[in-house]
Amino acid sequence: MARAFRRVFTRPAYLALAVVTSIIVFALATWLPNLGLIARIALSPGISWSEKFALPLSLLGSITTNFTPLSALYTIVIAILFGMYLAMTVYYLRRKIVRTWHSTWTGVLGIGSGALGVGCAACGSFLFTGTLALVGASGALALLPLGGSEFGILGALLLALSVYLTARQITNPAVCATNSITN
Amino acid sequence: MVQNNLVIPIAIVIAGALIAGAVFFTGGSASSAGANQLAPQIPAGDLEAMTPVSASDHIRGNPNASVKVVEYSDTECPFCKRFHETMKQVVESNKDVAWVYRQFPLDQLHKKARKEAVASECANELGGNDAFWKYLDRIFAITPANDGLDPAELPKIAQFVGLDVAKFNECLASTKFDKHIEDEVQNAAATGGNGTPWSIVVTKSGKKYPLSGAQPYESVKQLIDIALKEE
Repeated sequence: MARAFRRVFTRPAYLALAVVTSIIVFALATWLPNLGLIARIALSPGISWSEKFALPLSLLGSITTNFTPLSALYTIVIAILFGMYLAMTVYYLRRKIVRTWHSTWTGVLGIGSGALGVGCAACGSFLFTGTLALVGASGALALLPLGGSEFGILGALLLALSVYLTARQITNPAVCATNSITN
Repeated sequence: MVQNNLVIPIAIVIAGALIAGAVFFTGGSASSAGANQLAPQIPAGDLEAMTPVSASDHIRGNPNASVKVVEYSDTECPFCKRFHETMKQVVESNKDVAWVYRQFPLDQLHKKARKEAVASECANELGGNDAFWKYLDRIFAITPANDGLDPAELPKIAQFVGLDVAKFNECLASTKFDKHIEDEVQNAAATGGNGTPWSIVVTKSGKKYPLSGAQPYESVKQLIDIALKEE
């Protein structure tokens, strides 16, 4: 795996892609409950540009006020893993390395589950509760001992698995074995 | 390749185990949780649906301030507990800001919050606006959040604030504030609140900005500064 990381992340373009993607995912996670406010401020003509930038920047600080230590941890981990996953995926797509469906699906599941986990970061807020409220099942959150953080943890685990599988494909691409039948 | 073939089943088993474990460890206790209070059938909120601030509201700071922060809150929400301190700092540092507190107990998540909302309204009835805020400050100070406050503490807080405990208990047992609290819950949902703390910053001209969650002091201050600049 270390070999795959070296191959991908020693190239500045891929490293930059991973870092920028991670920052975007992290920012979106912290801005999620206030995207409406950010849009309102951005579109208000009477507000200065410095204020338009300062508010979203300060909202990044909500990672310490609007998240539990656990949800802050997995949000950061998910952001980092997502950046790595995307950069590695682009790397092998550009090199036309044959991709197996395992890493794709674990990646998709990881991203989906991670998004739901981020949605459970605050009291009844964000994606997950909003989605559940639409089907009248918000109370289902109370079933979960970690209040929905289970999805964030699962998302981080699945993304880590995707990164691992992708790294394996980069160093040991799937091929049609010439002697797959033995004995 | 055998290992690869196991990846998806393992992922599904982990997901299933997490959910099954959750149900097992909680003993299905959520079955008694209400399912009709949070975000009641209103897909998108309209800030203009906010009930206008009036003298009957619980207001801290200058009631004639140019900017009003209307907060819909739940006393058992850990983020509301944190945001309560932020808002105290906001009104203490800016004399042109008023803090309006409205009830938004999330019954599905915090079964004890609605009773605590009633208790704070009783404090208001028996001791006025100051008693309301003292009572609220005390609840937020001592509750560990997430339904951690023993209901036996409610009369003790009344005593701590200096209220007549007998009258307080009588009020607490009554249903006189049920409609008022439910109206505020419905109003929070109508304005787009689907979690707590849910705040609406109102400028002098009546323009409204939504603020969701326990945002840092710096963010609240920046938003208030923007609101103060508006005519």
